[in-house]
Amino acid sequence: MKSRRELIMALGAIPVLAACGGEAAPPAKAEPTKAPAAAAPAAPAPTTAPAPTTAPAPTAVPAKVFKVGLVTDVGKVDDKSFNESAWNGAKAGAAAIKGESKYVETQNPNDYKKNIQQFISEKYDIIVTVGFLLGEATIEAAKANPTIKFIGVDQFQGAVVENLAGLIFEEDKAGFMVGALAALFSKSGKVGAVLATDVVPPVWRFGEGFRAGAKYAKATTDIQIVYHSTVGPEKTFSDPEWGKATALSMIDKGVDVVFGAGGNTGNGALYGVADRKDKGVVAIGVDTDQWNTVPEAKAVLLSSGMKIIDLGVSDIIKAASEGKFKGGNITGKVGLAPFHDLDSKVDAAIKTKLEDIRKQLDAGTLKTEVKPAKG
Amino acid sequence: MTRGRFLFVLGCIAGLVGIAEALRSPDVPAAVVAASMLATTLRFATPLTLGALAGLFCERSGVANIAIEGMMLAAAFGAFIVGALTKSLAAGIVAGMVVGALMALLHAWLSVTLRVDQIVSGTVINIMAAGVTGFLSTEVVRRQAISGAGLLPAWRVPGLSEVPVIGPLFQQQPIAWVTLALVVVAHLVLFRTAWGLRVRAVGELPRAAHAAGVSVARTRYAAVMVGGAIAGIGGGYFTLEAVPVFEPMMTNGRGFIALAALIFGGWTPAGAWVASLLFAAANALHINAQQFGIPVPAQVVGMFPYVLTIVILAGAIGRVTPPAAIGQPYVRD
Amino acid sequence: MAPARPGIALRLDAALVPVLAIATALVAGGAILWAAGPQLEGPWLGLQFVAVAYLSLLEGAVGSRDAVIDTVLRAVPYAFSGLAVMLAFRGGLFNIGAEGQLTIGALFAAWAGFGLDLPAVIHLPVVLATGCLAGAVWGGVAGLLKARTGAHEVITTIMLNYIASQLAAYLLNGPLRDRSPLNVIAQTPKIAEGARLPDLVPGMHAGVLLVVAVAVVTWFVVWRTTTGFELRMVGANPDGAAYAGVGVVRRMTWALGASGLLAGLAGAVQVAGVNYRSTLGFNVGYGFDSIAIALLGRNTVSGVLLSSVLFAALRTGATKLQFRTQVSADIISVIQALVLLLVAAEQIVRWLYRLQAARAVAPAGDDEGREVAPVTIGSAETARTSK
Repeated sequence: MKSRRELIMALGAIPVLAACGGEAAPPAKAEPTKAPAAAAPAAPAPTTAPAPTTAPAPTAVPAKVFKVGLVTDVGKVDDKSFNESAWNGAKAGAAAIKGESKYVETQNPNDYKKNIQQFISEKYDIIVTVGFLLGEATIEAAKANPTIKFIGVDQFQGAVVENLAGLIFEEDKAGFMVGALAALFSKSGKVGAVLATDVVPPVWRFGEGFRAGAKYAKATTDIQIVYHSTVGPEKTFSDPEWGKATALSMIDKGVDVVFGAGGNTGNGALYGVADRKDKGVVAIGVDTDQWNTVPEAKAVLLSSGMKIIDLGVSDIIKAASEGKFKGGNITGKVGLAPFHDLDSKVDAAIKTKLEDIRKQLDAGTLKTEVKPAKG
Repeated sequence: MTRGRFLFVLGCIAGLVGIAEALRSPDVPAAVVAASMLATTLRFATPLTLGALAGLFCERSGVANIAIEGMMLAAAFGAFIVGALTKSLAAGIVAGMVVGALMALLHAWLSVTLRVDQIVSGTVINIMAAGVTGFLSTEVVRRQAISGAGLLPAWRVPGLSEVPVIGPLFQQQPIAWVTLALVVVAHLVLFRTAWGLRVRAVGELPRAAHAAGVSVARTRYAAVMVGGAIAGIGGGYFTLEAVPVFEPMMTNGRGFIALAALIFGGWTPAGAWVASLLFAAANALHINAQQFGIPVPAQVVGMFPYVLTIVILAGAIGRVTPPAAIGQPYVRD
Repeated sequence: MAPARPGIALRLDAALVPVLAIATALVAGGAILWAAGPQLEGPWLGLQFVAVAYLSLLEGAVGSRDAVIDTVLRAVPYAFSGLAVMLAFRGGLFNIGAEGQLTIGALFAAWAGFGLDLPAVIHLPVVLATGCLAGAVWGGVAGLLKARTGAHEVITTIMLNYIASQLAAYLLNGPLRDRSPLNVIAQTPKIAEGARLPDLVPGMHAGVLLVVAVAVVTWFVVWRTTTGFELRMVGANPDGAAYAGVGVVRRMTWALGASGLLAGLAGAVQVAGVNYRSTLGFNVGYGFDSIAIALLGRNTVSGVLLSSVLFAALRTGATKLQFRTQVSADIISVIQALVLLLVAAEQIVRWLYRLQAARAVAPAGDDEGREVAPVTIGSAETARTSK
């Protein structure tokens, strides 16, 4: 993230800003007298031209900095979960093409449209919207602004809009892999999943994929799946205490592999497993390789069911900068994270079996049979 | 809370455990399910009980408290950040109590001294706590990459904690133990000490208390701040006992369920405790039923505490009587 | 202790405190922004940062035609729910349940919008009326409980908020869910074209006019009818009202029902004018905001309208503030809490700016008690004894 100072520099001096009213102050207008530190090397000089290799994107004027904006779902860009992952992707993508990136965090679902509009009116080149709830607002914005590229994370596109890429993930496959790993690794024959509400389709697909995978790998496995559905979608991802209590309840009943999926609620399950380290139980994380994001659970983290949002987003941004943007659905990568600390505990037979399952899933010879959403 | 209601609620909790037993898959021993249900219930009940006790001292003195949520959230943050910076869990707990008491001081100052409507004051505290903790967690915790000080270690009851199956019940973390003790202490303080009598007096008949030489304002300040400190322990539960991190809005409405438990329990410590246990048991059942593959409708469980509270407020299962002077600022003649 | 009717001079004074409160809260918020800004890197950078933040806020709220429309549209539900809270306040009742009533209003308005097949002329009125009715029932339950059993409305409305959100979760995943194959969201289908509010100007629906009309009606009912007089009497002095022969029980039910009606209308207008459907989780946050708006508006109709515009402006401008500064938008909540604090405890403002107390003879705080009818269990007792 940029330092606050750089931001101020980029904004230019206040009088300019005040004077230009409705429009943004382009960085070039900064008055050197009002910006004493303008010479600081850290400040992004407006002269920073895009790399010469950058192909002329349809909207980008030559020598113009490519701008990437991101609108979160209700939540923050540092949520250690999907918003953060998408933001990391936007930052990485923008950095790779020497562009700049900014975010707006949605505080109320009624603001989706307005927050997207913010980047449109500032003439951003690519706008990333995160979460299936923003799907409709993103389609509308994309249709109204054909020169801007949109990336909708977790947004399935029913019909192709040329300038809108829906970055979707087969969470059921990731869940399937995780479920298979859990069932194969479990000594007690009992595995569990602690999830946010089943109303949220990606969460549902992770959970049901887990069920299918565990059953496929070892039909006798006792599979315990618990969704946090007693609270609304605005609360279901931010309840680590519930996640932990649920994980402990499973461990009490002999579960020795717990999959935690659902923002901070799922992270709570990882903390719960870490709490019972002495019992030899292990946890499986979600979305990113949580060995990196939840250091407290490193010692018990077997793997993570990854849904690689950051890479997906940054790849599309790079493609867009090269003029290779394509509308419609783009399926991002899913898979298992490395076993890290527990690598030596995973038998070669399990690794082989998992590899086999992965290949079959990729080839389509094995299906998860999970519906896209509950109900 | 009358003895009959008390037993009725305990019966309900036993019933919920019984349902879990009935639903269990045959390969899980009954004792394991019962022990697990109780463990989960106790865990969920801890912050609810602390929140309800916080509200108890406040409301018994005649100051309505809808700000339990805000006090716990602010304290959860205070406990986390001080614990993280000092790397001392004890300092974190103390900080949580101090933050809780400071929020309560604000509540007392507004509602006792300035005679601002107590519900308004509570609303201010709730909005403020959400905003400030959200702002600081982004601008300080995440920006400086501050990581927590870990979790409070479990305290084991020698001998009992080694027993199979029920052992885990006797290896709770400190705040869970303290909560149980606080229920007893709160009862003794409120009903067996002179100070407790004064608190109840200013909550029921402030004028009479004043005539008897009790300072209404000072007593209310003290009671509200004691409540705030207890809410502070409740906040500490989230970031020092449950999980080693702070997340925005992590109290997730439990302050309001605690308020419901307080009312449900008829403004008594034991009543608030069993009500918290009942609400917690409902959630524990929801988790257990799902584990056994039984789809209990989530909304029914989610509504449970609130519907029960309304039913009991409406007098359907025996009436509860709030402290008579609650909500009213005391103006000396 | 006699309730005083503010004269013209006092009305100016009444406006002075909120204005000073807002200014003070902005200064305090600025100090927080300054602390979060780059003040360590240069003496002027911190101040520049604050200035940029606030100018962005202003620009985002009113800096362009779109911004103004956004602010106005956001103010619409605030105004309805603020009036709802105000109405109950005037009857001495604290409606914390605007959020639940709004949720229920939106749900049933959406149902009327997609479930009923009606000619366009009456479809829109039916949708709005259904939302009103649903909200009125939800508020009326709390009113009835209060009147019949003395159950405190603060508690029952908080509980009813949670019940409403659970009910919404059930209905939006069950009977009212949009069953089209591509839908993965807990939401209703879109309402019929004829059930939608027409645009007043492009991008701004006619709900704005409805706000004005409803505000006038509310003002008339509360201040110019017998019902309203009785309502205010119950609010100011329930014992006296009962003594004077006012049916306190009936008035309380009526007040919370009418309050729920306005909140339900807020939900219905969001459905008919903005979202064209009801979606789970879209009605969060209105409850406490509307309380703040009613208080900031001093429980007057004009005050509520102005405060709803202010709150809408703060929330609308927050996007640009965050876009420019990349600072946490929670700063807006902090500012709102400070405004509310300073308006509620106006002694702080008076002390800060060395203003004289509004009514010098009344003991400190009592004037506040009259501005905002005190909410006491006492009135519940009255209800019980008068049964």
